[in-house]
Amino acid sequence: MAATTLDAPTQGSRVHQDTPKHDWGSPTIYFIALLLVATMLAPVVYIILGGFRTNSQITNSPAGLPAPWVFGNYLNVLKGGVFWQEVLNSTITAVATTIGVVVLGLMASYVLARYRFRGRGAMYTLFAAGLMFPMTVAITPLYLMIKSLGLINTLPGLILPQIAFALPVTIIILVPFLRAIPDEIEEAASIDGCSRLGFFFRMVVPLSVPGVVTVGILAFIGSWNSYLLPLFVLNNEATYTLPLGVQAFASQYSVDTAKVLAFTSLSMIPALVFFSLFERRIVGGLTGAVKG
Amino acid sequence: MATVTFDKATRIYPGTERPAVDALDLHIEDGEFLVLVGPSGCGKSTSLRMLAGLEDVNAGRILIGDRDVTDVQPKDRDIAMVFQNYALYPHMTVADNMGFALKIAGMPKAEIRTRVEDAAKILDLTEYLDRKPKALSGGQRQRVAMGRAIVRNPQVFLMDEPLSNLDAKLRVQTRSQIASLTRRLGVTTVYVTHDQTEALTMGDRIAVLKDGLLQQVGTPRDMYDTPANVFVAGFIGSPAMNLGTFPVLDGMAQVGSAKIAVPRVVIDGFKPEDKNSVTLGFRPESLDVVAVETPDSLQVEVNIVEELGSDAFVYGSLLDQTGKPSQNISSGAGDAQIIVRVDPRQVPKMGSTIHVRMRPNEEHLFRAGTGERITTV
Repeated sequence: MAATTLDAPTQGSRVHQDTPKHDWGSPTIYFIALLLVATMLAPVVYIILGGFRTNSQITNSPAGLPAPWVFGNYLNVLKGGVFWQEVLNSTITAVATTIGVVVLGLMASYVLARYRFRGRGAMYTLFAAGLMFPMTVAITPLYLMIKSLGLINTLPGLILPQIAFALPVTIIILVPFLRAIPDEIEEAASIDGCSRLGFFFRMVVPLSVPGVVTVGILAFIGSWNSYLLPLFVLNNEATYTLPLGVQAFASQYSVDTAKVLAFTSLSMIPALVFFSLFERRIVGGLTGAVKG
Repeated sequence: MATVTFDKATRIYPGTERPAVDALDLHIEDGEFLVLVGPSGCGKSTSLRMLAGLEDVNAGRILIGDRDVTDVQPKDRDIAMVFQNYALYPHMTVADNMGFALKIAGMPKAEIRTRVEDAAKILDLTEYLDRKPKALSGGQRQRVAMGRAIVRNPQVFLMDEPLSNLDAKLRVQTRSQIASLTRRLGVTTVYVTHDQTEALTMGDRIAVLKDGLLQQVGTPRDMYDTPANVFVAGFIGSPAMNLGTFPVLDGMAQVGSAKIAVPRVVIDGFKPEDKNSVTLGFRPESLDVVAVETPDSLQVEVNIVEELGSDAFVYGSLLDQTGKPSQNISSGAGDAQIIVRVDPRQVPKMGSTIHVRMRPNEEHLFRAGTGERITTV
């Protein structure tokens, strides 16, 4: 008797629960999401496709597809030396900035996180206060400083300030990360015969790889995208980085829209590749170093 | 020679008044397994860490063998430590974890490999040598921590509550494994625990600490049969000893409704703070259930019976002359409760009253004022 009365409701509720929640989620949300994605991607797609057209095509039908597909613009940019020179400059700057930020940031964060000394709080605040000074505020005195050092129009004149400006974020991310390494591991290592410096190189560095990757990615992208500092520091086209190069190219060939579009879309590619390779690693460093 | 000596070693944490460890005087023989036991905050872990060199020593000395190691770095003390949370290096394999100290010392790779494999064989870890700690169970991690200590062939093993993070059954198994292993290796071992059962079963000698002060040190049998003060009496043994302070009149102590004879030496030694009372302790197994009421039998009203299969324990209230529960007695069950061990086949009913009598010469007498043991023999 009890069995038969129980059967009916469970069967009915099972049918109701399965269908909407199963695999697809709410269709409204998907629709809104697709709208947003389309809005964001549309300009990018326009630029990329624009590089495959001639100027007359663009003038005649601004929003149309390439007909026929013209590869001359892209080939010209790729064959000319300007684009590759600028990619090289950007790469050198970004790599050097990242290395400097990672090495200096990791060492400073280790001391701030795990050593106890007077003025530790003040030093941490000093680094964190660096966040309060965006490039725009500091650019004028910074320019004068770089000029007096004789580093105008050189890549080191770009790299050194970029390291300095990237350090606050680095330290703020790495200090809690390194603090999460249990004291017991340090004690066990010390009983095993490890000196403090040995502990840093043998234990801290391997354990902090997720954090270092996060910080490195942020530093690399920050350096690659920076525009204001290179604009002030670099005069010679031979030393231009890619963002500057896009702007210079656009103003130089302003009439040749298709070529400008080709240059711009080519300059997007390195950053996109880098980001899509490493995006998953960014979150890993924002949690603790050692779990359990 | 790997003896260990604490010579009035003291540790005061900056900003506190009471020392965490107060002038500890302890000598451990070569090859001995000494257990430091006590409640939380008694200073046992601090003492161990002072021996390891992880805590500063504010006064006194620590000696390993004949060497004063008070100011020596942990790595130069020739000790190995097993931590409560194992403290394994997460990014290294089991083999690398165990060989880490040897690699730092500059030992050739082949010799490191041999030593690691020997230790792994003793501890049954050979098939896990290439795994990382996160792929191991709690018991396996604990064995790796022990292996890391064994491989170094130190003069002293230090163990800080290594079994606390294991489940109950694994704890019992590992307990005997650790005891037999250290016996086989013959290395002096200092073992810290808050579990008095581990202390009694594993130690050659036990040292009980409370509030930074050493209460008593002796063999398990000594600690069980002749506790030096009320604290040790109530701490060692499970279930704990029944303790109560009773007034003495005409050479007899009024224990509930019973009158128990008190030896002459107790009354002669009365001091003002004793207030003519004596603290009497008797273990649950020192009480016999008697059928007939006698002047020296206690009346116990049964509240709960705990049946453990091989034993049964009655948790009850001690009734005084008027039949009301006495507040004067405390035991492992808390205040105003008494524990009696009874025959598991003849368990009294709840709410009934039983008569129990102390077996002669199995009672413990302590000064009511200071809590010190009164020797009657």
